[in-house]
Amino acid sequence: MKIGEILNKLACPRRIPKIFSVVLGLFLLIGLITPIALNNDQVYPRPAPQEQMLAGDSIAPYDRGGEILKSPGITKAQYPNNSKSLGMVNSYMSPIADGVRNASPYFGTSIYSSPGGLIDEILYYTRGFDTILESTILMMSFIIASWIGINFTMRRKDDVDEVKLEEND
Amino acid sequence: MIKMDITTLGGSLFGTIPLGDIVLYVTPFHLFMFATVIVFTCLIAISRTETQIEAKFKSLGNNAVSVGLAEFKIRRFLSIVCGLATAGAMITGDFFNFILFVALIGIVNIGIVSAVKQVDVLDAAFQYGLGAMISSLPLFSAGAMMLAATGTLSLFELANIATITPMMIFSAVLFLIGVAGETGIAPFFATKAEMFRTPGSPFLLIIHLSSLFITIRAIEIILIILT
Repeated sequence: MKIGEILNKLACPRRIPKIFSVVLGLFLLIGLITPIALNNDQVYPRPAPQEQMLAGDSIAPYDRGGEILKSPGITKAQYPNNSKSLGMVNSYMSPIADGVRNASPYFGTSIYSSPGGLIDEILYYTRGFDTILESTILMMSFIIASWIGINFTMRRKDDVDEVKLEEND
Repeated sequence: MIKMDITTLGGSLFGTIPLGDIVLYVTPFHLFMFATVIVFTCLIAISRTETQIEAKFKSLGNNAVSVGLAEFKIRRFLSIVCGLATAGAMITGDFFNFILFVALIGIVNIGIVSAVKQVDVLDAAFQYGLGAMISSLPLFSAGAMMLAATGTLSLFELANIATITPMMIFSAVLFLIGVAGETGIAPFFATKAEMFRTPGSPFLLIIHLSSLFITIRAIEIILIILT
């Protein structure tokens, strides 16, 4: 195949996602033979799976230690100097969530979703800026979708000029 | 082999902006790019759209293609968001944070052209959107693999890592593929090039400008990590 033909094929927008996904797929195959070297010294550590469940912890598997408003929970941060109350966010629970924890050993996961229950410190404190950006991405996609929904819901017959313009192209 | 870190690539460190674990940092290189994007965003915020004049076929008339007020407003808003996201990506000191900025720019780029009523532009934007969605896989998995392989996401820490493991190289190339798909550089340029063919020039230029700046910054980040 000539180079010119290949370049012409690359210039067609319809082919781009296909070419891109093929390139990506081929590269991901290399990942299968890449030696996996994990670093155990992680910034954001997690307890071993099922460890808290088996220990009978009432807020398993989300327990990160600490006493409410007294002692900090276990959280590592990349720069502890920038997060003065490190661990305190994790250890905090609202009175309702605390009551639920003391009342029964079976509602650990529901405490996570209750108001003022366990708050993920990494998400909202040490890496809070990431969360702001994530919700901005979501909000922008809602803005775009709703704008299109409002403004593109039109009777095509009424918009004769636009339709003609497209047909002429 | 020359050891490249933040100061050899960007010049002397002026200061940092600590936001918890995410530390934005300012060097002459980043400050220049940041200021350029901010100035361009301000110019966009106060400018009006162009009107394209197309010559009619088989007659002497002209055909003016202009942008309506509602469309103008949403495009200006999304362009400003795109400009601010590009500016933020220029000074961020965190690998995952940069990836999020790139994802935000990708979404907003689709939004800027989604308001036009030209079928081939919308077709190209749709194909670009597919590419942008596919490239969130390499982008975010690159971030996750970098965290797994090195245990950190901060560029200051990543610059100091002495031994480069194959997993880090794999992650960095995955990151490059993701950025290439999201910004539409060399082999995947066609979708983004077709998206431009519509009136409303100053807002469309931010699509192009953000890709250029993101590409430069992505290469700098790869150099920081791998050398």
